[in-house]
Formats: sequence, structure tokens, C-alpha cells
Amino acid sequence: MEEESNESRREMTMPESGDFGLLKTQILMSLPSIRRMSLARREALAGYAFVIPWIIGFLIFTIGPMLASLYFSFTKYNIVDPPQWVGLANYAKAFSGIWDAIRTGDPRQFRDPLFWKALQVTIYYASIALPLNLAFSFFLAVLLNQKVRGINIWRTIYFLPSIIAGVAVTILWVRILNPRVGVLNPFLKDVLGVQSPPGWLSDPEWAIPALVMMGLWSVGGSMIIYLAGLQGVPTDLYDAAKVDGANAWQRFWNVTFPMMTPVLFYNLVLGMIATFQYFTQVYVATSNSLGGLGSPQHSTLFYNVYLYQNAFRYFDMGYASTLAWILFLIVLILTALIFRSSEAWVYYEGQLRGRG
Amino acid sequence: MKKNLFTILTTLVLASVLLSACGGATPAPAATEPAATEPAATEAAATEAPAEPAAEGEKQKVVIFVGFGTGTDPDQVAAQEALAKKFNDSHEDIEMEFLIVPNEEATERFLAMVSGDNAPQLVGPHGTSTIARFKEYWEDVTPYIERDAYDMSDFYGPATTINKYPDLDAGLPLGLYPSFLFYNKDAFDAAGLDYPTHDYADTSWNLDALKEMAIQLTLDANDNTPADPDFDPSSIKQWGYGDTWTDMRGQLTMFGAPDVGRPTTDDYKTATFNAPERVFGFQWLHDGIWKDHFIPDANGQAAIDSTGADPFGSGQVAIWYSHTWFMSEALNELPFAYDIAPLFYNQDGERIARIHADLFTMPKNAENKDAAWEVMKWLVAPEQIVEVCQIYGCLPARKSSAEAYLNFLKERYPTIDHAVIFEAIDYLDNPHHESWVPEWGKVNDTLNNVLSILYSDPEADVQAVMDQGNEDLQKILDEYWANQ
Repeated sequence: MEEESNESRREMTMPESGDFGLLKTQILMSLPSIRRMSLARREALAGYAFVIPWIIGFLIFTIGPMLASLYFSFTKYNIVDPPQWVGLANYAKAFSGIWDAIRTGDPRQFRDPLFWKALQVTIYYASIALPLNLAFSFFLAVLLNQKVRGINIWRTIYFLPSIIAGVAVTILWVRILNPRVGVLNPFLKDVLGVQSPPGWLSDPEWAIPALVMMGLWSVGGSMIIYLAGLQGVPTDLYDAAKVDGANAWQRFWNVTFPMMTPVLFYNLVLGMIATFQYFTQVYVATSNSLGGLGSPQHSTLFYNVYLYQNAFRYFDMGYASTLAWILFLIVLILTALIFRSSEAWVYYEGQLRGRG
Repeated sequence: MKKNLFTILTTLVLASVLLSACGGATPAPAATEPAATEPAATEAAATEAPAEPAAEGEKQKVVIFVGFGTGTDPDQVAAQEALAKKFNDSHEDIEMEFLIVPNEEATERFLAMVSGDNAPQLVGPHGTSTIARFKEYWEDVTPYIERDAYDMSDFYGPATTINKYPDLDAGLPLGLYPSFLFYNKDAFDAAGLDYPTHDYADTSWNLDALKEMAIQLTLDANDNTPADPDFDPSSIKQWGYGDTWTDMRGQLTMFGAPDVGRPTTDDYKTATFNAPERVFGFQWLHDGIWKDHFIPDANGQAAIDSTGADPFGSGQVAIWYSHTWFMSEALNELPFAYDIAPLFYNQDGERIARIHADLFTMPKNAENKDAAWEVMKWLVAPEQIVEVCQIYGCLPARKSSAEAYLNFLKERYPTIDHAVIFEAIDYLDNPHHESWVPEWGKVNDTLNNVLSILYSDPEADVQAVMDQGNEDLQKILDEYWANQ
């Protein structure tokens, strides 16, 4: 082995004849002395070598544009003319007037009232949609975790809506929710006896609930994740609970739910991020309506919709970049808070709390 | 040996990846440094050095970006391809090509092309609103007109003024789209009503007459009209009047505010959205929707849209106010007899009938501008303008082409009163309802929010809504001028 090692060393150090041989020798001599590295280090280097293409792509197509938009957020930029540095002016525009608005209770005191309106609409939607989505998909997963005949067919049926394109789903629901020709209001009126069914997407009070309802139809994706989690709960825990005399609810609350908290945490984080990025459904549902995007009466003016308007309708790329970075910070803070809170309510199997 | 080979191969792979990443990367438009813009001075085009002559045998390419207005229907696409072939066969030094983009993607595609230093040579056909939206993006063709001593006398006056600003003449006029009323003759016959007058001088054809007629034409599921005690507004199957394929500025133009279609003073510094005439108009429309029920509300509009047909063609709106471009889109094999009539006089005895005026424009930072100018001239030349306008449904902007276009109308739409179309030009709106105002997009969205209140809130306090809209508009103007 030592002879082989010596031989390989001589191969690397002995200059070879010809131009290519000289080049090869120079390359090898300039590299770290690989043969003296540990196996672990060599394997790590090989790993980095294979992941470098992705890293390069990430730097160029993700980090690069992010840094560019950070720069643009400090500029006035309309695409045609070069960016003009304005410092914190864009950020000041978003937050100016906040104290006067709080003091007087008048949203018109904001320098950009629509920024706050968009934030309000988004938070309102998130506060309804997120808990409902989490609860409903969990509920469905528990139902679909039963051992009944044909359960796979039911799982497929409930999963299918989540794989249909968002645009198609929205167009379908816009028709369903139309008070004149849709099927929902006649059902509410004739079957359930609701005298004055709401106007849904044409009513500022009901537009957000309509969108929430639309979103509940597509919970199949998170339902599948819950289902996988449910099937990973150790059955011996249920056996032990049964031995201890726990009924179905007690088993659910004391075994199933704690064991599912990691999955719940995962869906909560992703769901929170998704609600703050809500855009496609609103764009499809309102862009061709009377009043345009965000109608009726700005009741569907989501944050991303307002960002889109600033970028592609008002050509104010600087301010749009500012809005994007504000959104990033909001989501980052909320995610951090969720992570921080997870210590109190997320239980990982095998995790020891308190005394070790 | 094998280890050396592995090292060499890894190094080569990394190097090739790095080289390809650096050479092929095309960052998203917002991340790139913007292309250096050409000077905005209008003298630049006239005094700049002529473009380097194309290499022998090499044609200069002129891409025409179609997507902001009409031109994206399959029939139109085929016709445009034939038009391009006709041009290319007759020109050795320029090659024309149409780039058809769906309307809903047009803005993003255009911005991506402009920011990526790949602007199309021509954009169109499009009208006043697109010119206003992208006003800073267009080349002023005044130097080209002056350089070539281009004769503008054959164009209709409005065609040359609507899209012209003190600092910008956006392009040569292509076509006009005057507006008038389309009416369903079968609905009139069923209601036992006389057809609207075709006489532009008949002043009895006014808002009150239209309202009375429209109420008679509005029917619920049991054929009751709003005048009947048993009328059910929730089951209307036919409305008397509609005018929703326009925005807030468009809908209020006919009521004759001092600034007509522009909600600001001449200097663009003071908002005039809540002028008494517009408040009157808003109230008239609001009553027509919620009190007299002859205009479809937001739900009604959505119900009509869900049929997949236009409001007039669906048979659900008996009198529909629109432009000539509506004819090429909607008047195809309708199941009922129809005709056209002049717009009615407003409350002040004035008739203001909106007009659209289309043209092709040249982006400031496009290449081959001289070739683009040649193509622009060819498209509106007397030999081609009728053919081009037949594709897009516009009335040719040249007076000398009126007869040829009239013959086309008679052949294509034999049953309508063609004189109504030509006479409507005299009643155009000036200032135009799509004309430039500062922060055009933001103003439009603000006013369209008011529009959504009109069509979705039966209890709206009209004066308060208009005052709030004016206040919001004034805030936008103040901020714009503070930053100038």
C-alpha cells in the first residue's frame, strides 16, 4: 500500500512530457494536497462539488434578484429610466402618518392608506382562512384515516381539487358564487331557507368569506400530509391508552393530537406564508370585474395585489420593491414567533422536557 | 491515477458550469440594470446620424407588438400574418413581423422586453389609454413627420389631436372608433316601442327619453317591467340599457363636465371629479341600477359575463352603448335583428359621444427606428389603411378612405344605418376620457373603486362618494407634483 501510495505520489509529481502533461501537472500541483486529506473531508468536497451548480443557480436567480430588489427599494425606478437613489423615501411613504391615523382614528391620515388597507385585508383573510384550513384538513385526515371499505377512493376524491390549477378553480367558483346564475344561492334560499343570500364576491362584506370558502375546497394537499402523519403515530400508544381506559376522544386529545403537533407546526408555517402571498385567485376573480383588481371597494385588495399594482400598473418598481421587503420582514417575524412558540406546544416523539 | 482523473473531471465540470452560468444567465427584468435610455429631446430623431446601413442582403427587422388593444382573435392573427407577407414581399430592406400577445399578458411582456433592452419596434394598434399609461415610453414622431414633410391633411382632425400632447405626438393615426347605441329591434318590437331616432338633430332623444324606453324594455322572469307592481329585480332576464365596457371616466363623460373626460383642470393640478355634472351622472346611473332597475348591477354584469357572450349579443341588454370595435367582436350571426342609433343628448342638451383613436407607436429605446417609421407609414398609407382597419374594426383615419370603408360596412353589416357611424365623429369627447393625467394608473384605479361602489352599493350616498373620490384624486395629484 505504501508502495502504491509512493507510486501515485511519483505520478503526480513527475512532470509529464508534452503541453497537456505540463498543464495537468500544473493543475494538480496547484490543488490542495488531496491525498493527504481525510476521507470525510474528501467526501465533503465531492458533495460540495455536486451541489455547486444549484448554489450558482440559487445565487444568480434568487439571491441576485433579491439583492437587486433591495437596492431598488431605495430608489425611484420606472424601468425605462435609470434608478434614482431616494434613500428611505419609499419606506417613509409606507409608514408616514401612522401616528396621526392612530390618534385620530382616520385612515386617510396615512400617507399611503392603501398600504394599510392591503395589510388589513390580508391579515383579515389570514385570521379566518389559516385556522379553518388547518382544522378542516386535519378533520378530513382523521376521517380518511379510518379503515373502511373504499377509503382509497374517498382519499382520491378529497385530494383531487388540490391538483386542479388555481385559475380553473377560481373561474369555477366565481360562477358557483354568482348570486344570479350560480348554484350556491339557490341552494341556500330554496333548501336551507336563507331569505337573503349574500352577494359573495360582489359584496364587500362577503368577498373575503367567499375566498376563504374557495380555499377550503383545495385543502387536499395539507390533508395528505396530516394523513401521513396520522399513519406514523405508533399504535402501541393507542393500545396503552385503551388499556388505561381512555375513550375515543381522550385517545385523540392525549395521543393523536400531541403526536401530530409537528405536522401541524409544519402546515401552520407553510400556510401562514401562503396566505401572505395570496394573489392568483384574487387576480382571476376581480381583474375583469367592475371596479377592477381588489374590488368591490378594495375589499379584496390583498397585499400582493397592491404590490402587483404598484409594479405593473403604476410602474413604480422602487415602491413595489419596498413593499416586497416589508412583506418579507413581516413573514420573517411571524415565522420566528411561530418557531419560538413551538417550544410550548409542539411535541416531538422521544423529546425530553425539563429534567434530562 | 483514477483520483487524478476524478479531480481533473470535477474541475472541468465546475469550470464549464461557471462559464455557462455567466454567459447564459438572463436575470428577471426587475433585477437588471435598466437599458440606457435615449435622450428624450425631440430633435434627436431628426438630427441623429442615420443608422448604419444594413449589411448587403440583411433586412432590418420590425417587430409589431400586438396585445394592448384589438388584434388577438384567431381571424385577426391570420389576417395580420397575410398583411406581413404582403409587406415583406414588397420590401427588400425591411422585414415586418407581428408578435401577438394575449391581452392579459401584454403589460408584463412589454415591460420585460423594454427592460431587457429588446423593445419591439412598433406597438399597436392601441389607443389613448395605452399611450397615457406608458407615456414616458414612446418616441415622439414629430421629427420624423417634419423630416419627411409627411402630409397630415388627409387625416380626420380628431384622429390627429386625441393622442397628441404638447411634448409627444405618439404616432400616425390609424383608425377611429366612434360610439353609438346598438339596439335590439326584436326587443323593441316585443315591447311595442318605436325604434330610437337616427336623426342627430332630434333633441327630444335625451336622457329622459332613454330612461323611459329602457324601463319598458327591462323584463323580469315573468315579463314584468319595473313599472309593474309585481316586478322582481332579482330575476331580471333583460335589461333596458348598458354601458359597462368602459371605466368610470368613460361612463361619466357623456354628462358634460367642463373638463369632459378628464377629471382635472388643464394644468392637471386640481381634481374636478366631483363636478356637478358628474355627480348628476353618477346619481342617474345609480338610480338606473338600484331604483329603476334598467341597468344591470354588478351581479347582473357577472351573470351576463358567465354566459360567455357579450351583453348585447347575449340578448340580455336591449340598448348597448359601445364603439365600432364592438362590431367586429360581437355582431356575428346574432339571433335577432339589430341596428344602431345616435347617443342621446345629456341633461344640458349636449351630446358627447366617446371616441377611441388607435395608432401604432414606437418605443423610445427600440432599435431600427427608421425602419419602424417606414412600416408605420406603410400601415396607414391610403393603399393599405382600409385593409388594416378591416382587421381591427376601426374607421380609417383618412378622409379619402371613407368611401372604401363605407363599401366594406355595407357588405359586412348590410342591415345597419351606416350614416350613424360617420356622424358620431362630430360629437367626440375632448379632453378624452382616456387621456393622460399624472399617475394615470393610480388615478384610474382610484376612480374605478368609485365605479365598484356605483354598481355594488344600493345605499351609496352619491355626493359623499364623489367627494371622497375627488379627495383621493387630489391627494394623488398633490403627491405627484410635490415630487416634480
